[in-house]
Amino acid sequence: MMAKRLPGTSRPLRLSRPPAVALVCLGLFLLCCAFVPRFATFGNIENVLRVASILCVVACGQAVVILLGGIEFSFGASAALASVVTVMALPVLGPVGGLATGGASVIAIGAVNGFLVGRLALPPVIVTLGTLMMASGAAAWLVGGLPIDAPPSAAFSWPARGRVLGVPVPILAALLACAALHLMLAHGRIGRLWYHVGANPVAARLAGLDVTRITTLGYAVAGAFCAVGAIILTSRVASGQPALAPNLPFETIAACAIGGLPLSGGRGRVSQVVFGVLTVAMLNNAVVLINLPVAWQLVLLGLAVLAAVGLQKDWAVLARLARRTDR
Amino acid sequence: MTPRAEGRARFLVAPAAILLAAGLFGVASPGFLSLDNGLSMAGQIWILALLAVGQMFAIAARGFDISVGAVAALSGTLGAMAANAIGLPGLLLAVPVGLACGTVNGWLIGRARFQPIVATLGTLLAVKGLALLVSDDGQVVPLEAAARAAALSFDAVAGLPPLGWAALAAVGLAHVVLRHMLVGRRILMLGSNPEAVALVGAVPWRIEMSAYQLCGAFAGLAGALMTARAGAGLPTEGAGMELQSIAAAVIGGTVLAGGRANVWAVLAGATFVQVVLTGLNLSGVSPFIAQIAVGAVILASGLMDAGLRTLLTRFSRLSPPKGTFR
Repeated sequence: MMAKRLPGTSRPLRLSRPPAVALVCLGLFLLCCAFVPRFATFGNIENVLRVASILCVVACGQAVVILLGGIEFSFGASAALASVVTVMALPVLGPVGGLATGGASVIAIGAVNGFLVGRLALPPVIVTLGTLMMASGAAAWLVGGLPIDAPPSAAFSWPARGRVLGVPVPILAALLACAALHLMLAHGRIGRLWYHVGANPVAARLAGLDVTRITTLGYAVAGAFCAVGAIILTSRVASGQPALAPNLPFETIAACAIGGLPLSGGRGRVSQVVFGVLTVAMLNNAVVLINLPVAWQLVLLGLAVLAAVGLQKDWAVLARLARRTDR
Repeated sequence: MTPRAEGRARFLVAPAAILLAAGLFGVASPGFLSLDNGLSMAGQIWILALLAVGQMFAIAARGFDISVGAVAALSGTLGAMAANAIGLPGLLLAVPVGLACGTVNGWLIGRARFQPIVATLGTLLAVKGLALLVSDDGQVVPLEAAARAAALSFDAVAGLPPLGWAALAAVGLAHVVLRHMLVGRRILMLGSNPEAVALVGAVPWRIEMSAYQLCGAFAGLAGALMTARAGAGLPTEGAGMELQSIAAAVIGGTVLAGGRANVWAVLAGATFVQVVLTGLNLSGVSPFIAQIAVGAVILASGLMDAGLRTLLTRFSRLSPPKGTFR
């Protein structure tokens, strides 16, 4: 899509400045290469990217919700519901139909969240925590609380284990998800509307935007990203797990926060999400390789979120002070 | 409806909901309305009640605390360790641990101006991890004095087990703090109009911090109760409790936009959640369906808050509350 520019405002093509988190990410990468045994091997890097790719797809969805000034806690539970629904639908609809049904259920939950937030102005925390409980209850109820195995088939395991031109499918999916989100945010109409609503919903409403529709669509698109992640996860574990990924919402929110998306909404780029995701994935990987207890993953993730948000606040304060002395 | 009447109506929702739910479950399963079941429930509600009362302080100050479940697990586990080291009163270490977590939350939110969700999400993750670390990757910490702790938490004295009476006293204390003490009044003031707090010469961030400190301390107390009832410190317990506590506080009429709260209504809200859980259990419904019902209760609490807000703006000539545009 070509954006129309006023005469005289056209810019030469240039890469935009990398986000601050890129430096943190690069620093962490070098640290890990230098001090973590077995980190800088081809197999391990591919492993980190594989884990990061699922997180990245879902974090793209979380980013849309955060842009809208919301927060999405129901991702883990709806991914679990999707995996259960997929495996139950498998004998009837086949691998493709099963995965599609599972994905559709995530999108539906997202749309419901978006409607409740956009139309009734309920706080996103309440809404998504409520649907989290309902989705995880429904997932456990459908299978009686126990995981069910999926009959093995090549088509079913393709999303997690397949390769296209040598590139693993999850990594390809992450690249496509980032590209799609970038197109929507930087060049699409809907992205601009999301920024408007996220920055100031009152002004957006006064300007005549249909905030309900834009918000519902945003949460549904977020659900679609999560659905892709859920399909890959389901295919990887080859079973319907009622407790598939309980930390998924926390990790994606952490990735967005570390990437520098303000949780008040209205600002953010895809590159920030990508570097946030890589940082989280490397932290988790390093904890395992150094042989620390896995609980350190949680502690470090929590501290990283607080540190990232704290540093951004300090930058904002410094910038304000600098402007004040300019005057 | 005048704003004052609306304010009172909001605190009557939870008692009315209890009566309605109890009537429905009484019809569905005859055992529900028996005295035995009533007494058993009266012993059960206190963990949720303490968490909900703590959550109420955070919500009244226009915030949230989603770390309460993790804080209760960590402080209950540390309390169990202290109790094993120095005897059963050591369980009370849970309260200062909770207070410490609340202080961190409060400092981050009040002083460093973090959004409540981000700050408490960060502490939720860190505290959850800490609870696993202190307990050797989630091993339960059995109480040596488990028999005495069980007697304190299950054997009714005049209707309630001793720890139930203690929790009731703590809830009463919360009422005194909220209604009659300066810090409670200031927390409500901060919730309804933050600028006013600064104008009367109080320090807003200290008030905000004290709200989260109260929340943390109550979560710690809930953790101690959890440990006493289970006879062991449970480092991985507490997931989902933050949700139930928010639901109970909001059903109990606490305004999500801050500034209005009533401790006894919150207690009724916690009772309502317990009535739903016990009632579904006695009706022979799968516990997973009960989980769906709790989710529905959370959504309903949000809808109730929005509905009452709309009523308020529609039936009074007042302008809508600041920060909302309907």
